[in-house]
Amino acid sequence: METTRKKFNWRRFAIATLVLYIVFLLGPIVGLDIPVVAAAIKANPLQLVQFLIIGISNGAIVAIIALGYTMVYGIIELINFAHGDVYMIGVFTSLTVLSVTGTLESKDPVKIVLGLIFALIIAIVFCAVLNATIERLAYRRLRNAPRLAPLISAIGMSFIIENIGLMWAAQAWLVPSFGTTGGASQKVFPDMLGILFASLGWNINLLASSGLALRLTIKDLLVIVLAVVLMTGLYLFVQRTRLGKAMRATAQNRDAAKMLGIDIDRVITATFLIGGGLAGAAGLMAGLYNNTAWWFMGFRAGLQSFTAAVLGGIGNITGGMLGGFLIGLLASFSDGYLNARWTNALVFATLVLILLFRPTGLLGEQTGQKA
Amino acid sequence: MKIMRSGITFGIVAGLLTFLFGGWSVAVIGSLMGVGLGMGLGSGLERKDPFKIAKDMAPTAIVAGTILVVLSIYQNTFVQHAIGKQPAPINIMIFGNLIGFLGTVIFTTLLAGLHGLPEKEEQKWKMILLAVLVVAFPFIDKLTALRWTAQIIFALIFVILGLGLNIVVGYAGLLDLGYAAFFAIGAYTTGMLSSPVHGIQINFWIVIWIAAVMAALWGFMLGAPTLPLRGDYLAIVTLGFGEIVPVLFKNLIDVTIKEPFTCWILPMFKIQTSCITFVQDFDLTLGEKGISPIGRPSLPLIGEFQSSNPITWYFLIIAIILLSVFIIRRLRDSRLGRAWMAIREDELAAAQMGIDPVKTKLAAFALGATFSGFAGAFYAAYIAGIFPSVFDFSASIIILCVVILGGIGNINGVIVGGLVLMTADRLFLPALKDFLASLLTHTILPSISDPVVQLAVKDNANPILYRFLLFGLTLVIMMAVRPEGLIPNAQVRAELHPDEAPVAVVEAETPMNNKAKKG
Repeated sequence: METTRKKFNWRRFAIATLVLYIVFLLGPIVGLDIPVVAAAIKANPLQLVQFLIIGISNGAIVAIIALGYTMVYGIIELINFAHGDVYMIGVFTSLTVLSVTGTLESKDPVKIVLGLIFALIIAIVFCAVLNATIERLAYRRLRNAPRLAPLISAIGMSFIIENIGLMWAAQAWLVPSFGTTGGASQKVFPDMLGILFASLGWNINLLASSGLALRLTIKDLLVIVLAVVLMTGLYLFVQRTRLGKAMRATAQNRDAAKMLGIDIDRVITATFLIGGGLAGAAGLMAGLYNNTAWWFMGFRAGLQSFTAAVLGGIGNITGGMLGGFLIGLLASFSDGYLNARWTNALVFATLVLILLFRPTGLLGEQTGQKA
Repeated sequence: MKIMRSGITFGIVAGLLTFLFGGWSVAVIGSLMGVGLGMGLGSGLERKDPFKIAKDMAPTAIVAGTILVVLSIYQNTFVQHAIGKQPAPINIMIFGNLIGFLGTVIFTTLLAGLHGLPEKEEQKWKMILLAVLVVAFPFIDKLTALRWTAQIIFALIFVILGLGLNIVVGYAGLLDLGYAAFFAIGAYTTGMLSSPVHGIQINFWIVIWIAAVMAALWGFMLGAPTLPLRGDYLAIVTLGFGEIVPVLFKNLIDVTIKEPFTCWILPMFKIQTSCITFVQDFDLTLGEKGISPIGRPSLPLIGEFQSSNPITWYFLIIAIILLSVFIIRRLRDSRLGRAWMAIREDELAAAQMGIDPVKTKLAAFALGATFSGFAGAFYAAYIAGIFPSVFDFSASIIILCVVILGGIGNINGVIVGGLVLMTADRLFLPALKDFLASLLTHTILPSISDPVVQLAVKDNANPILYRFLLFGLTLVIMMAVRPEGLIPNAQVRAELHPDEAPVAVVEAETPMNNKAKKG
């Protein structure tokens, strides 16, 4: 045994070289021009840190949405296609609440804070109920149908909710800032946090005094902190509470859980409620952070989050969080160094590569026939 | 009684449709309703004397026709005024309604009566009748000035796409959420090879084959690495490809390919070389601007196909559909087709019987893509311009809707599904929009004093905004109520309703089963 020295694998080396060569040769077509990217990083290393900050903040939002996908998949093995769109509804709900309560026009910090908290609660409750309703209407009766039936139903639900978002974005009488351009255009989500901190007299950029050409804003911190709080809460809920235990049991083996007296319907409804609530919270956060509301934003966010969930190992809550941050970083670097127009394709390519080479994700266990 | 009820329903629906189109539409709608009623009700009846069936159906047909005519006359005398339009001239009214009524009665009784013939005869006569209708349709459309043909052509493009997707989803049981990518590949192949933009102008009759081969090739290339995946993971990967392909077509506008050794690696070691550049800033797909114009097909006698004359295009696409149906039927009944269905039913068992699952699935993927290549080539030539936004995720889902609505795994079902869904989308919704808009401006809108509310009502009463709702609801409702589709394939139906059909058959035929059930 001692004598078998590991031989240098020429074949592997040749293939690796060839792949590398092809990446260098054809990469620039899709914006992956490594020399240019390397030069850009060398010229301005601080920019890398900036993209890191943006990536982590966006990744926090992606991670929260990814939790909804991963929890639902863990329990009923369904890709809840409509989940990204529930998040989009969360953005519109919070924007509408902010508009109706008059928070958008307000300059009073107390009123803004109260309005934001109120919007957060309404968005969470509304999206939670919406998500559970979707499950009740579109998935429950298909629980024992062939596997693809609920998936198709989910795609249909996604279309319906996107259409609701499109209609919502056209209601200028409800939210005057939507304007008269119709529902299809991107709407502005006012920068309430910026207004809030300006009215308090704080500088929103925490690194302004350091003299570096970097922006680490209170918004970034707030998004990350809120995300970490929500995720920790969820983790504790699933690990410590009775309902969380029932959820894990159902995820492991639905029939056995049923035999032990767990009310499956209740557990599944609870899962959808929690996932929807998280999507609603993510909606308000994303609106405040990225300052846009668009009926189609749920599709892109859904894809990124689903990719994150798969990357982390679908069904695995910790994996979902990890995947979310990684995808956020990937998207941010792609936006910054390659070109924003390729980001979606790049995220998708990542998804395809993960599914092909490691379908269990980073932290997932072998699921065998399930996938 | 049940027959009479569906007759009344059909009559009311058809009558309400005349509200939207007006004029001669009552004649066409009446005849189409007759065909639908005759086909639908006839096949549910017992086989007996044709004349007796026809006699039984006659009251229903007359009731349906009367309802249609009454509603149509009401439309012309009252509704047209209400929406601020001139009523149609009296001669159109008389003849239109007469033809509509007679069309309903004759086609209903005729088609239902055909059911009394032996099965082979019935099929033959129905085929002949349908062929006559299909051939006559564009000419009738032109005579009656309804201008439906152009929209029907779109529906027929989606019928071909549905037929192709049906191979993948229906026969092989693989959910493909990115089928529009192959449609895009077909269209772009045609665009690039027959447009003056790149200076290559190949004849349409050759390009359509190149497009089909390209689509098949890409189906093969995309399928090869992904098909070992199962179920919903495969669906997501295909969705990914469906998303990447339009992005590629949108963004391949400054393609630069440089040889890395001479351009980057050697200069890093301070060796001076001349950089070999293969392509520099080449605009391959023209991005959002799209490729146009695109060469059109031409034939001797007819000359080049013109966009102003949809009849030639109509017959071209009918020919392509006939060819596709022929090929797909042969494929379905071949060894390969049976292998697809075996894999759909139980992959493990099929593999044990010596079917190579990956190869079989790959064949389904590539062959399914071929038909979208045809559709893409036709689409590109017909529109004479292609834009990347046409081929996005929603297009894939619309094609999926066509397959699901019509009936998974059933050629006739897919054709009906495509026609119903796409005419609803392209004919019904725009007509409803115009109707609602003019109805509101002449009734409710002037009485609303608040301009904000007035605008809100006006903007929201636009059914075209609810297109996605139409497709989404189609999927959700079909999955919940009738997952096997409008015209189901017997096998799929049995699979989806394990509790109904087989039990009835088995119980009647084998006493063994009864014993087993008791025990």
